[in-house]
Amino acid sequence: MSSRKDIELIPARSPWRDAWLKLGKNRLAMFGLGFFATMVVLCYACPLFYPHSPTSQTLSLGATPPLSMGIELRYDAESEEADEVITVKEFADVYASNAEEEALRIRNGEVIDVDGLIFSKSSRIHILGTDGHGRDLLARIFQGGRISLGVGFIATFVSLLIGVFYGAVSGYLGGKTDAIMMRLVDVLYALPFLIFVILLMVVFEGSDHQLFLIFLAIGAVEWLTMARIVRGQVVNLKNQDFVEAARATGVRTFTIILRHLAPNILGPVIVYSTLLVPAVMLLESTLSFLGLGVQPPNASWGTLIKEGAEKMMVYPWLLFVPATFFSLTLFAMNFLGDGLRDALDVKSSKD
Amino acid sequence: MLRFILIRLGQAIPILLAIYTITFFMVRAAPGGPFSQERKVAPHILEQQMEYYGFKDPLPVQFFRTLWQHITFEFPPLTSYPGLTSKDIIVDTFPVSLELGLLAMIVALAIGLPIGILAAAKKNSILDYAPMSLAMVGICLPTFVIGPLLALVFGVWLGWLNISGWFSFSDRILPASTLGLFYAAYIARLTRGGMLETLNMDYIRSARAKGAPEFKVVIVHALRGGIMPVVSFFGPALAGLISGSFVVETIFQVPGLGRHFIQAALSRDHSLILSTVLFYAALIIVANMIVDIVQILLNPKLRYQ
Repeated sequence: MSSRKDIELIPARSPWRDAWLKLGKNRLAMFGLGFFATMVVLCYACPLFYPHSPTSQTLSLGATPPLSMGIELRYDAESEEADEVITVKEFADVYASNAEEEALRIRNGEVIDVDGLIFSKSSRIHILGTDGHGRDLLARIFQGGRISLGVGFIATFVSLLIGVFYGAVSGYLGGKTDAIMMRLVDVLYALPFLIFVILLMVVFEGSDHQLFLIFLAIGAVEWLTMARIVRGQVVNLKNQDFVEAARATGVRTFTIILRHLAPNILGPVIVYSTLLVPAVMLLESTLSFLGLGVQPPNASWGTLIKEGAEKMMVYPWLLFVPATFFSLTLFAMNFLGDGLRDALDVKSSKD
Repeated sequence: MLRFILIRLGQAIPILLAIYTITFFMVRAAPGGPFSQERKVAPHILEQQMEYYGFKDPLPVQFFRTLWQHITFEFPPLTSYPGLTSKDIIVDTFPVSLELGLLAMIVALAIGLPIGILAAAKKNSILDYAPMSLAMVGICLPTFVIGPLLALVFGVWLGWLNISGWFSFSDRILPASTLGLFYAAYIARLTRGGMLETLNMDYIRSARAKGAPEFKVVIVHALRGGIMPVVSFFGPALAGLISGSFVVETIFQVPGLGRHFIQAALSRDHSLILSTVLFYAALIIVANMIVDIVQILLNPKLRYQ
C-alpha cells in the first residue's frame, strides 16, 4: 500500500485480460467463437424446444426438400385429425387435377376438396427438409452435432491429459529419459494412425462402449503434438530462476510441475487444444464416413454426410446441409484457434 | 550419410516388429473370424478351412509362423481371396494407389506452391488475402465433402467426367483433385510461412542490393529456404495421403490398396490386414528417411549434426 492516500491505485491488467482484449479485436476469431458457441447451445439445447424428434419417422414425408410444405389429407370433411400427411409431389402426382394452381392455393391456406378428399396445409414445417425416412433433417443435424462435438471435446481432453503429462515429464526430467521419450514420439508420429484407429474400431465393433472407444482411440492418437509443444515449453522454463528457487527450497518435483510450470504452459496448450477439436471432429467423421465410426441409430455429422453422399444425385440437400454445418463449424474453430494464437502470442508450431 | 541411412534402417526393425505384434493381437482380439459368414457353413468344411489356414495351431506357433512368412516374403493364401496371397493383392492394387497419390501430390504442388509464393511476395495485398482465405476453405472442407461435391457437379450435373471407375485418364481427374485439394491448401500456407521467413533474411537484402531482379530473388534465392517447411511436411503428408486414399478410393470406387485394406478389416482377413499394415508402415518409414535426406541436402546446417 502506498503511504500517500491521494494516489489512485490502478489494478494491473493481467496477461490473460490483455489476450482477451486482443482477441476481441479480431473479428474473424470472434465470429468463430460466436458461431461455435451458438452451435454448441443449439445442439445440446434443441431437444428442449425443437418440435421434431430426430428419430420419429414419417415415411410418407420421406426426402422432402428444405422449406417444402406437407399437405394434410382427410378422407372426409368431418375427421378432426389428418389421416395422412403427404408431400406436394405426391399430391401433384396422385391426387391433383391442376397441380400447380391447387398446390399454390393450399400453400396460401385454403382447404381444397378434390373428389371428396380434403387437402389442407400441414402445420408441420421441416426447415431443412427430411431424410429418406422422413426424419427431420435439422433435428438429425442437432443430434449428430451432439456426438461430433462431444467426440471433439472428450477426445481433445484425453489427448490433453496424456500429452501434457508426457511432455511435462519428458521436458522436466531431461537428459537420457527425455531423449528416449521424445524419440518414441518421433517414431509414433511416423505411423499411419488412422490404420490403428480403424483396427481398434474393428476390434470393438458392436460393443456397447463403441462410442466411448472412439473418444479414447482418437484421444490416444492425437496427443503427440501436444506432448512436443509442452516439452518445448518446459525445457525453456525449467532453468529459470523461480523454478530454481522452488527446487532449492525442496519442493517436490511433482509439485513444481503442477504449480510452477503448468500455469506458464497454459497459453500454447489452449491454442493447440482449440485447433485439436476440429482435427478430432474431422477424424471421427472420416471414420463414420467409412462406416467404421458411429453406428445407426446414432448419427454424427460424418454419418449424415455419408448418407447424403449416397443419395446426392436425387436429394442433393441431404449432402449440402450437413456438409455446410460441418464445414462452418470447422471454419469457426480454426479461426478461433488462429485468433487465440495471435492473442496469446504463441509462436506457431507448424506454419 | 551411409551411416545415417544404416542407423535409420536399424531403428526400423524394432518398429516394424512392434507394429507386427500389436496388429497380430489386435486382429485376433476382434470379434468374428474370417469364416463367420452370414450363411452357415457345414461344420466339416469349417473344420477343413481352419485346418488349411492354420488357425488350429497354438497362438505362439501362429505368431512366429506368420512373422517368418513376412520376413521371407512367402505369404500364405488369403481367406477372403482363396488362391491369392497378400503379395498378389498388394502388387496388383498398390500401383493404383501410388498413381492416385502421385497425381494428387502434383495437383497439390501445382496449386499450392504458386499461390503460397505469390501470397508471400505480395504480402498483405489482395493477392495474399484472397488465395489464403480460399486455402482456409480448402483445409476445412474434408475429403469426404469435396469428393461427393466434385462428383455431383462435374459428374452428375455437368456430365463431363465419370463418377466412378479407373479406366481412362479422365477417370483420374476427380479422385486426384479430391485428394490433392486439401494438400494444396496446406502447402500454400506452409509455403507462404516459409517464404515470409526467408524473405526477411539478410542475404535476400544483399541479393536485392546487388540488383538481382525481384523475380529472381523470390524464385531462386528465397525459394530454396522457403520451401523447407513443405519438404518436412512430406513425411506426415504421406501418412495423410494413405488415410485419404481410404476415403477417396471408397467414394470413387478406385481399385486401390486403400479400399482393399478397409475390406480386409471388415472381412477379418487376418493375413491381408497384417501384410497391408506392415507394408504401409515400411512405406512411411522409408518415405520419412528420404524426407530427412532431402532436408539434409537442402540445408547445409543439418549436415553436421
